[in-house]
Amino acid sequence: MIDTKESLSQLVSDAIIGEKYPIAKIISKIETEKNLEFRESLFHELSIQNPDAKEGLTIGITGTPGAGKSSLLGELCKLFLEFAPNKKMAIVAIDPSSNVSGGSILGDRTRVTLPRRDPRLYFRSQPSQLELGGLNPYTFHVIRFLRRIFDYVFVETVGIGQNEISVSLISDLSFLVMQPLGGDQVQFMKSGIMEVPEAFIINKCDEESLANSSYYMLESTLEFIKDILPDQSLPPIFKTSVTKRKGIEELLRYILQYQKRKDKNTETLTQLTQWVRNEYGRWGISIWEELESSKWNQAVKRNPLGGIQKLKYEEEERKIVSLIQTKIK
Amino acid sequence: MSAEKKEYLLVDENGQGKPDKPWIFRTYAGHTNAKASNELYRKNLSKGQTGLSIAFDLPTQCGYSSDHEVSRPEIGKVGVPINSLEDFRILFDQIPIEEMNTSMTINGTSMWLLSLYVALAEERGVPLEKLNGTTQNDLIKEYLARGTYIYPPKESMKIIVDMYEYSLHKIPKWNPSNICSYHLQEAGATPVQELSFALATAIAVLDAIKERNCFTAEEFEQCVGRISFFVNAGIRFVEEMCKMRAFTEMWQEITTERYAVKNAKYRVFRYGVQVNSLGLTEEQPENNAWRILIESLGVTLSRNARCRALQLPAWNEALSLPRPWDQQWSLRLQQVLAYETDLLEYPDIFEGSKVIESKVKALKEEAKLEIQKIIDMGGALVAIENGYMKSQLVKSQTERLSKINSNELVIVGKNKWTDGIKSPLMTDSDGGIFKVDPKSAEQTLNVLGEAKSRRDVAVAKKSLEDLKKAAKEGKNLMPFSIACAKALVTTGEWADALREVYGEYNPPTGVDGQKLFLSDDKVSTVRGKVEAFTKANGHRPKIVVGKPGLDGHSNGAEMIAVSAKHSGFDVIYSGIRLSPEEIVQSAVEENANVIGLSILSGSHKEIVKQLFDELAHYKAKIPVVIGGIIPESDFDELKKMGIREIFTPKDYDLMSIMEKIIDIVSVEPALV
Repeated sequence: MIDTKESLSQLVSDAIIGEKYPIAKIISKIETEKNLEFRESLFHELSIQNPDAKEGLTIGITGTPGAGKSSLLGELCKLFLEFAPNKKMAIVAIDPSSNVSGGSILGDRTRVTLPRRDPRLYFRSQPSQLELGGLNPYTFHVIRFLRRIFDYVFVETVGIGQNEISVSLISDLSFLVMQPLGGDQVQFMKSGIMEVPEAFIINKCDEESLANSSYYMLESTLEFIKDILPDQSLPPIFKTSVTKRKGIEELLRYILQYQKRKDKNTETLTQLTQWVRNEYGRWGISIWEELESSKWNQAVKRNPLGGIQKLKYEEEERKIVSLIQTKIK
Repeated sequence: MSAEKKEYLLVDENGQGKPDKPWIFRTYAGHTNAKASNELYRKNLSKGQTGLSIAFDLPTQCGYSSDHEVSRPEIGKVGVPINSLEDFRILFDQIPIEEMNTSMTINGTSMWLLSLYVALAEERGVPLEKLNGTTQNDLIKEYLARGTYIYPPKESMKIIVDMYEYSLHKIPKWNPSNICSYHLQEAGATPVQELSFALATAIAVLDAIKERNCFTAEEFEQCVGRISFFVNAGIRFVEEMCKMRAFTEMWQEITTERYAVKNAKYRVFRYGVQVNSLGLTEEQPENNAWRILIESLGVTLSRNARCRALQLPAWNEALSLPRPWDQQWSLRLQQVLAYETDLLEYPDIFEGSKVIESKVKALKEEAKLEIQKIIDMGGALVAIENGYMKSQLVKSQTERLSKINSNELVIVGKNKWTDGIKSPLMTDSDGGIFKVDPKSAEQTLNVLGEAKSRRDVAVAKKSLEDLKKAAKEGKNLMPFSIACAKALVTTGEWADALREVYGEYNPPTGVDGQKLFLSDDKVSTVRGKVEAFTKANGHRPKIVVGKPGLDGHSNGAEMIAVSAKHSGFDVIYSGIRLSPEEIVQSAVEENANVIGLSILSGSHKEIVKQLFDELAHYKAKIPVVIGGIIPESDFDELKKMGIREIFTPKDYDLMSIMEKIIDIVSVEPALV
């Protein structure tokens, strides 16, 4: 039982040194409904035991089903172990399968061949609990937790439309994975997805000429929407092939050297807004906006230097809940 | 007497009564080690068996030598272990291979085994043209039903074509491959699926041969003539007979229309049969004797579709490996059928039957549509790689099981008339089952060790380098493999060399998106318990379904995965041939509430021990249940090791299994 303070602290200290079973248990608890109390104590405990922990980089990987995201991740893992001998990575794979019973078959693990018993890798599946892909309601907190232990946290989702690419909102670096000549880019352009990811991957580039023509097509599509891209420069495009083992090394090097991190306050606020909207709808948002701290946080967001102090997610959530409860009364 | 008056009888050109020659009688056999199997073969041949059908153990099938760590629990269990030419020398000792018709049930390593056979023949001075037999070497069976594949489908196809090219020129009487739809029925295939998947695969093989363009038109015709099939005969024997007639007619059409084969001899649908084992029950196993007889009738009654070779399972196969006596009993059944009855004296007795003709027509029409679908998709290889065929089979299987569960499909002794007197056949001192002596593996390892120490290491090494080089350059690998065989290279070394070049294959599991057709009270009870669990724990129960070891019979694991999802579990199922380390790693990282293992090869004790050791490594206490062909005499030991529940073929009711599992999970103290 980890509801008692002592055993939570034991679990956290075991998790910090990278023991897999304690990490797994904590995630299950995060994935449990009404876990606010637990989260508060968990993140509190983490900050006490490991106050100087660096935050791991979050990498979002999304794309249509069949684009080969999982196999690509499998190859990335193998290379990662070789190229980053002192780093650790975690993967959270969100599987869209679900049915009437509520049960699911989490198949992503099948497609990622992982080395056995390697403490530097951790893989966790999550059912999306929605008909389509996208994020699981607990994904954000699971990532927040994993970032405190792992240097890199990969989040894989199935992206089909605007709703499913919210993974990029909570990642430092997000990739959209496509198949060569899939015609995806036109569809994605229509639904406004092309502006969102930081980089693109054309996977399954098993054949040179097909890969190149797809590359140029994507490049020209991106040039077309260049005006609305924030920094006016074209995002990088990677050509990868798992069967030919091509392009994956370049992709990994890019990820390992990636410096730019998103402001975690903004990210937290995004997630909190999304949560309030899910739980209480627009009414909830309007109430929240009345909240003093929210205005303060809006100000922080507008501050180009970032926040003076990190937004405390659980504290905010609690405030909203209590505010709304008083409103209801 | 004039010939007209004897129209109902088979006659020779002089009008004299002349019955058909019987089919080849085989028993699928091999166990323990080369020496014990050699003795068994010689005994069987002396009893009137007319051909050999060699069963290889799982390490040999999967391309591992007996001294590999994954081989240990499996040596000699479901067949004979073959490590090098030395084992073949022992296996065929005093057996004249030039007079045999030898069938080898082997796929991933078929080229290697054929190379050993060729090397043995050359060593004995037997002209290669005299070698007669078949290497199974089939794609659909491997990737869809049996799971002893090694390389990706494309590379496996390349190996098959290499063998055709070599065989046609050097061993013209050899069947280099055998389209094996047998296991599809075991995996739940309907007759239409068996027809269409097998024929689509044969088309893929012939198209690949055509593409290589290594034969003259005449040689290609001969090559078409070498294609043979290995088919399953099930209990619905009228339908099965119609399936065989449909096969024969469709093959005629395909070889004529698609491949323009002129010589009628090469258009004949040649096939061997093993009757269905899936329908054999662990409950009241004596009933299986009748099932086997009835199933045999489907493929022998009809002269226009009579098998070329037949092998029958033993009545007790759902319990364990058959004993020599059990095999003898099956052989006697064939002998009674062929020699005592008048079966072989008549022309086709169903010609002109309206029922049979229209049923055949219907099967053909449906199968043609399905074949067209596969061809439109890009052919059998694509339909394997994209998971289409696999998901279709899992679907049929779930439908079949749903029907057994709802008693829509009657199985005597299993879901109807289940009370009965216990069979006296089971009361022998051995309990009516056969067990391999665990010490016999030592003999195999000694032979292997000796062969390795005796060989010229430099020659062996060079022959392997040559093989790899040839594989990289896309050359025909047969001559290089034969050179390896002669250099006393081992099975594992041969397979590893090609693994290095071709990689290993990891196929789709086919369970994604599958549904069970069950919605009775039992389902709601189980779902209610799952909901209660979810409410109490805040998340759904999670099960890791694990298929460890080299045994690739994944049907059971697939059905449990689908049933668990149907019940409301979150399921992690990653396919076959996982190590205990991999299964435990999944369960730990996912914080699973339960691990369900499926083991059919008889290696459960060894594997369960490895699994619990691994759980201890992570200090994880996750309950473990197991299903498979597990004799009752092992129950106590398994439970002592920590296994919480054991399921055998008797436990066919999926929701009862799920209920037991959710009960176990629910009483566990919440782990978090």
